[in-house]
Amino acid sequence: MFNISRRNFIKGAAATAMLGSTGLPVLAAGEKLKVGVIHMGAISDTGWEYFQAQAWRALQAQYPDQVEVTVLENIAQIQDCERLFRQLSTQGHKLLFGTTFSQYASLKKLAPTLPNSHFESCAGIDSSENLGVFEGKHHEGTYLTGIAAGRMTKSNVLGWVGAFPVPQVIYSLNAFLLGARSVNPEVVLKVVWANAWVDPAKEKDAVAALVSQGADVISGSPNTPVQGLAAEEKGIWSIGSTGDFSAYVKKGQLVSFELDWSAAHIEAAKAVLEGTWAPTNRWRGLGEGGFVKMTSSSPDLPASVAAEMATAEAAIIAGTLNPFAGPIKDQAGVERVAAGAVLPDNDIKGMTWLVEGVQGTLPSA
Amino acid sequence: MSIRFELRAQPSRTMVWLSPIIAITLTCCVAMVIFALAGLEPVSALATFIFSPLADLYSVGELLIKAAPLVLIAVGLAVGFRAGVWNVGGEGQLILGVIFGGFIALTFGPTGGVWVLPVMVVGGAIGGAIWAGIPAFLRTHFNASEILTSLMLNYVAQLWLSYLIFGPWRDPAGFNFPQSAPLAPSALFPTLIDGTRANASILIALVAVGLGWALMSKSFVGFQLKVTGLSEGAAKYAGFSAKRAVWIGMLAGGVAAGIAGVGEIAGPLGQIFPTASPGYGYAAIIVAFLGRLNPIGILFSGLLMSLLYLSGDVAQMSLGLPSSITGLFQGTLLFFLLTADVLIHYRLRATSAAGAPKGAANGL
Amino acid sequence: MGFDLLPILLSTLIAGTPLVYAGLGELITERAGVLNMGVEGTMVTGAVVAFAVALTTGNLWLGVLAAMAAGALLSLLFAVLAISFRANQLAVGLAMTIFGTGLGSYLGRPYVGMALVQDATQAGGGLAQLPVIGPLFSAVHPLIWLSWILFAAVWYFLARSRAGLALRAVGEAPTSAHAIGYPVVRIRYWATLFGGAMSGIAGAYMSTVYASLWTEGLIAGRGWIAVALVVFATWRPERCIAGAYLFGGATMAQLFAQSAGIGLPSELMSALPYLATIVVLVLISRDASLMRLSVPASLGKPFNPQG
Repeated sequence: MFNISRRNFIKGAAATAMLGSTGLPVLAAGEKLKVGVIHMGAISDTGWEYFQAQAWRALQAQYPDQVEVTVLENIAQIQDCERLFRQLSTQGHKLLFGTTFSQYASLKKLAPTLPNSHFESCAGIDSSENLGVFEGKHHEGTYLTGIAAGRMTKSNVLGWVGAFPVPQVIYSLNAFLLGARSVNPEVVLKVVWANAWVDPAKEKDAVAALVSQGADVISGSPNTPVQGLAAEEKGIWSIGSTGDFSAYVKKGQLVSFELDWSAAHIEAAKAVLEGTWAPTNRWRGLGEGGFVKMTSSSPDLPASVAAEMATAEAAIIAGTLNPFAGPIKDQAGVERVAAGAVLPDNDIKGMTWLVEGVQGTLPSA
Repeated sequence: MSIRFELRAQPSRTMVWLSPIIAITLTCCVAMVIFALAGLEPVSALATFIFSPLADLYSVGELLIKAAPLVLIAVGLAVGFRAGVWNVGGEGQLILGVIFGGFIALTFGPTGGVWVLPVMVVGGAIGGAIWAGIPAFLRTHFNASEILTSLMLNYVAQLWLSYLIFGPWRDPAGFNFPQSAPLAPSALFPTLIDGTRANASILIALVAVGLGWALMSKSFVGFQLKVTGLSEGAAKYAGFSAKRAVWIGMLAGGVAAGIAGVGEIAGPLGQIFPTASPGYGYAAIIVAFLGRLNPIGILFSGLLMSLLYLSGDVAQMSLGLPSSITGLFQGTLLFFLLTADVLIHYRLRATSAAGAPKGAANGL
Repeated sequence: MGFDLLPILLSTLIAGTPLVYAGLGELITERAGVLNMGVEGTMVTGAVVAFAVALTTGNLWLGVLAAMAAGALLSLLFAVLAISFRANQLAVGLAMTIFGTGLGSYLGRPYVGMALVQDATQAGGGLAQLPVIGPLFSAVHPLIWLSWILFAAVWYFLARSRAGLALRAVGEAPTSAHAIGYPVVRIRYWATLFGGAMSGIAGAYMSTVYASLWTEGLIAGRGWIAVALVVFATWRPERCIAGAYLFGGATMAQLFAQSAGIGLPSELMSALPYLATIVVLVLISRDASLMRLSVPASLGKPFNPQG
């Protein structure tokens, strides 16, 4: 069974070498690139999956004649994920996208076994054979929206509705408070965990709970319009975090940033079309080709605050400002980042502690 | 003139077999209407819908791996249902199987040998049995309705699993996402056919069908259960213990569901998620009824339900229809079946409006 | 860190209201001896229908009416199968949940990503302009007021009215009720339709008032909680409404505790109502006389006029 003949071995090695260098498979001339996307949740969630869907829509718009996208949504069971990726691959889809971290483990297992397709996972620990990963530097967005929140709060209490305490959400809310404290050191941030990815009604309840504790600017992630609508009802500001909800929240949304995955989809498709695709690990924030975009701001946002945000944005893009530059203390007052140092990327990606001034706890691990 | 239902002297044996066929045919008709409304060519769309999940060996493996837990749980539940023991807690019992089996897998999997998997299966069975034993105990000692207590325990089990996955069992390398560490290879069911995910848990389901059939059709216990289900009074008269029927009925479901839970984490999941059960505990109730509480019938109905799950994904992939179509068709199928089942016990008869014949059921 | 009690109470009201509707509806259904486990599916369909109609017509109340009609229609299907055809009520109920959830998602697709702009004064139908009590109408949504009226009506119906007596008789002893001349089947039909219509309102409340938008996963198991709630309430309307606020409040309390910095194992908190329901059930079931007083004796069992 394990009798690998020399000849077979050489053949295998050659195939591997080819895979590594030329980025198979190359499309035949005039052939359309079939792209498959598997959404774990419903695109209708108006939150995470919705913005994932915006990316393949952008891809379609970019290459209307060269790319054809097949989309599956509501594949909530991990049991089904592997089968469907495999079927899409067998059907000739050469580029496949997963939209959540929960699919990552399946993809990591699957990607090396299906060399006819290339795989991309939104969120994931690292790229591996035939699997690229991409994730946004959410904290660059929240740091800027934090500045607006810090300037606009009257109670000096901000509120955050978190879905689950995953690192993306933890570094988002930490940076949100750091941004707010950069302009208003008195600010504190209260955190409530909904413990559900999608439960709009619970998000609304969470906003009510935060408001009762004096919060007058609400943000959260992943986000849906419900938080903003609930805040508007209470007559306080909300912040579109990971998405712009000004179409729903007509008056109450102060500012927003959006996770825009278009670049990830378009670049991967372009690379496959050109035969240059290779697994990469992309973790991008603001700026050209980035995954984080500042979107709308309310007419009520004072020009001075907008200018402050713009300056910080330019500094982040230029690399002169890092939201996680020291000194930073955690909730217990322990110094996590020394003055003059910045937190290494991998420590941000795996963040499991809350910065000083955050009021709330992480469910014990 | 009006149409009335008239009680048959004896249940129609023809209709017992015909009614599923009628139900499936009518469901196909509804499906074609929906396809046509969606602008698809109805016949070819239906053909795609039904046959593409069976296109190759891999897909057949997928069909089996989805049908296995449904059949397994449904056979277990049917033992109780026949005895009039309404175990609605298959979902919770499955989750207990996940918890008990998962504990063994996470604790001993990385270092243990070939014994890990069998111990997981036994552990899962015990977990399911404990969770089913609670309603059985409450029913036999306090007369509390097992329908309601087993239903409540579903929520409790789900919350327990959530607590474990969000807390102590969270994968330290998993970036705080609510999922356990991947299960070690020793804690996974071996694959039966290369190139598919069809694994040994399918054999367990088949054994369950055989055991269920032997128990229900060949054993005296099966007869006792059946009598108890038909009339508790008659059972008492014959000296059969109703309490024993409750225990046997509940535990059969619990053991089966617990093992099915192990089958999920040690099979297609390979990891423990808070949503380890895709609602199989509830779906299995429908499978049991579709299969008329008969293990052989359940084997077929389980395959049919599984096919509908897979077809729903095909509908999205190839026909551009939403996945919600699965629920629509599963519900429709059961509605038609239950309607057609009326004809087992009744015949339709046109009568003159005046003077309904004696013995006619209430007309609609 | 003090609690301001008012927002907690108000949030509890808001969170409990869908449970009040669905719970009272299911309570009436079960008091007639019918166990409809399809509440979740009915709520999903009601939520979508209400949202679609309210969005297109711009009138919340038309949406609520449409949801009631949709809920009643779905439960009519249940009634035909479970009451007339005497199919197993568990099976039909579960099929209803699967079907209703699928139907809701299917119908809801065109309305995804749209928001319903709520105007409290418009929803209050001018009541909010009334002096003195007006502000109450803007703070507390009219559908919440209506749920209290519904509660009063259900309580009066069961405790005081002749029709309520007939309903209870049908649930307790259908054969005797039939012998006395009560139309058992017709009463069970009406009870089931009422339950469906109320589940429809509960869904409507979720999509139009609670969230102001439609997404899949909006109902998030609240229909199942309503089924549990009826048992918890031992089939009494006054305990049902209290239980609805308790169940709704359990979630709220946990969120408020979090925001106030009190860490609680949220799963345990969430499991408490279910464990309490089991305890209640055991307490009432162990005593035969207590059991007779609380549980509809024929619950879940089909009625055959031939006996």
